[in-house]
Amino acid sequence: MNRERFIKERRQDWQRFESLALKFQKTRQRNWSGAEVAELSRLYRSICYDLSLVQSREWGARLEQYLNDLVAQGHNCLYRTAPKSLSGIWTFFSIGFPSLLRQRYKAFWLAFALFTVPFIVSTFVAMLRPDLADMVAGEDELKAAVEMYSKDLYEQVDASYVKQRSGMFGFYIGNNTGIAFKAYAAGALAGIGTCFVLLSNGISIGMVQGGILAAGEPATTNFTSFVITHGAFELTAIVIAGAAGFVLAQGIVMPGNRTRIDALRFQGLESLKLALGAGLMLFIAAMIEGYFSPLAISPSFKYIIGTICWIAVILYFTMAGRERTTS
Amino acid sequence: MSDPQKRQVDTRVVVETPEGVDFQFIIAGPGTRFQAWLIDSLLKAGLIILTWLLLALMISLLFPNNSYRDFEDSLGAIQGLLIAAYFVLDWFYGSLFEGLMNGQTPGKKSAGLRVVRSNGTPVDLMSATGRNFLRTADMLPMFYLIGAMSMLFTRRLQRLGDLFFDTMVIDERREWIARRAGLTKDIEPIVRSECPRRFHVPERSLSVIERLFENDRIISDARREEIAKPLSEALRKRLGYQDPPPDPRNPHTYFSGQGLKHTKFLLRILKTFSTDLPAEKEQPRKGRKRSRKADRMTAADVTGAST
Repeated sequence: MNRERFIKERRQDWQRFESLALKFQKTRQRNWSGAEVAELSRLYRSICYDLSLVQSREWGARLEQYLNDLVAQGHNCLYRTAPKSLSGIWTFFSIGFPSLLRQRYKAFWLAFALFTVPFIVSTFVAMLRPDLADMVAGEDELKAAVEMYSKDLYEQVDASYVKQRSGMFGFYIGNNTGIAFKAYAAGALAGIGTCFVLLSNGISIGMVQGGILAAGEPATTNFTSFVITHGAFELTAIVIAGAAGFVLAQGIVMPGNRTRIDALRFQGLESLKLALGAGLMLFIAAMIEGYFSPLAISPSFKYIIGTICWIAVILYFTMAGRERTTS
Repeated sequence: MSDPQKRQVDTRVVVETPEGVDFQFIIAGPGTRFQAWLIDSLLKAGLIILTWLLLALMISLLFPNNSYRDFEDSLGAIQGLLIAAYFVLDWFYGSLFEGLMNGQTPGKKSAGLRVVRSNGTPVDLMSATGRNFLRTADMLPMFYLIGAMSMLFTRRLQRLGDLFFDTMVIDERREWIARRAGLTKDIEPIVRSECPRRFHVPERSLSVIERLFENDRIISDARREEIAKPLSEALRKRLGYQDPPPDPRNPHTYFSGQGLKHTKFLLRILKTFSTDLPAEKEQPRKGRKRSRKADRMTAADVTGAST
């Protein structure tokens, strides 16, 4: 077969393919008919064959370029990632997320230790040595925090605060989730950044908490009852985001049996799932912190709800998704 | 073609499809990526200001009798919602655009860039999210220094986010430059009677000529003429083509045309002998929109053909 005959014979298929591919690129997937998809993939394969024929016989770069472009279009139409469905999101949160965290328990406990130890230590330090707490957390800020929680409960939640709830909700989302995502992303620097974010947040939160607890009665109850419910989600989520950062770092520091580049890709996706899960938890936490925690109701009620939330979170991460793996 | 890694002298990357066909991608450089980033940043800033205005408008409608107390309250709410809006833009702007618009944020689109997976397939929502989350790490310690270092040491110019999520940013602008409309527009074709020996030019030579007129090559006209000369002379010999003698009545046009005569001759060749493929009719109208894959010959093909 010579070049001219080849072009003459194949041209119709090419043009048909071109119009099909154009349609596929412009319209949504649900508008494609089965026959068209079948035709496109048949034409695509035959054009791939044409292209390699042209390449091997050196029938000219112009022809080659044209066919290569057709192949590129077909490649675009045919090779796509499977669309994500809502049920996939549901199975992820009911099964995938908790079991993934259990799988990566080492990263979790590392992040847990790096956050909790400085948190508890600095709480006690602040209670015993208020001068140190002033130095670390900032004297004015600490004083403002203590003052805020020292007010009588019903006075603290005054009218202006109620109107600002949505504002505070937005602030919690932006601030807390931002910190968590930063802790995650900083894991790409071999985990050093994650360590830094976890430690510094553990220390500063602990210092403020210690300072408030040291201030005595109205503040102590107000603070604890305010914090307990959303803390179940917020503190856990920060630790999980840190764990996600360490999973990311594992790709760099300990690639294991994989080549380093494969390890990066594997750990990248795994860690992103953890981080997005943590993000959703922080969204829940921000809702609670904005709308439930400042409610003017009796502290004991908040303690009950808070305890239930803590138990729920712990049960979720220890139990959810287990049945599927054992049976 | 056997070992694409060893041939690499520029920012082209060859990707093989499951059908065993090779594609070439042109990897986007830091300059173009900065351009896209700048446009995206401006757009984000604009969006924030827009949200701010909308929120302020909303609040002023909600509290028509704007007492000072109301104003103060609403200020707090605006602040919080703005922080939330900023958060969403900061972390999800790139993710959502790249994940849902086939790898292009508005900035990338205007700069002719696209994010694809490093096997050439379209980027998915998860990878897009991941690579944009890790932007925070790439930005450290300032001015994307870590990202720039990472790009320096990777063949596909990937920053950390790209490495972890197996993506790369490709430059799509330069396809079809070789056949850009108007290259041979005002050139008169060669007539049969001008070539006593033969009236045919092989496809390979034509592609070499096209290559010479590509836009992305920074070549002065004089240098192009110099490069064109050996090819032009060989083709003249092959076709038996002779330059028409100077017009005795107006010799000036002859001498002014001498300067770039080889370039001009090659253009005439191109005009005359380019076969009309189905592609020819489509090119000028649809431009770069037709396809997203950049595909061209390599420098090796050119030198191989012209020697």
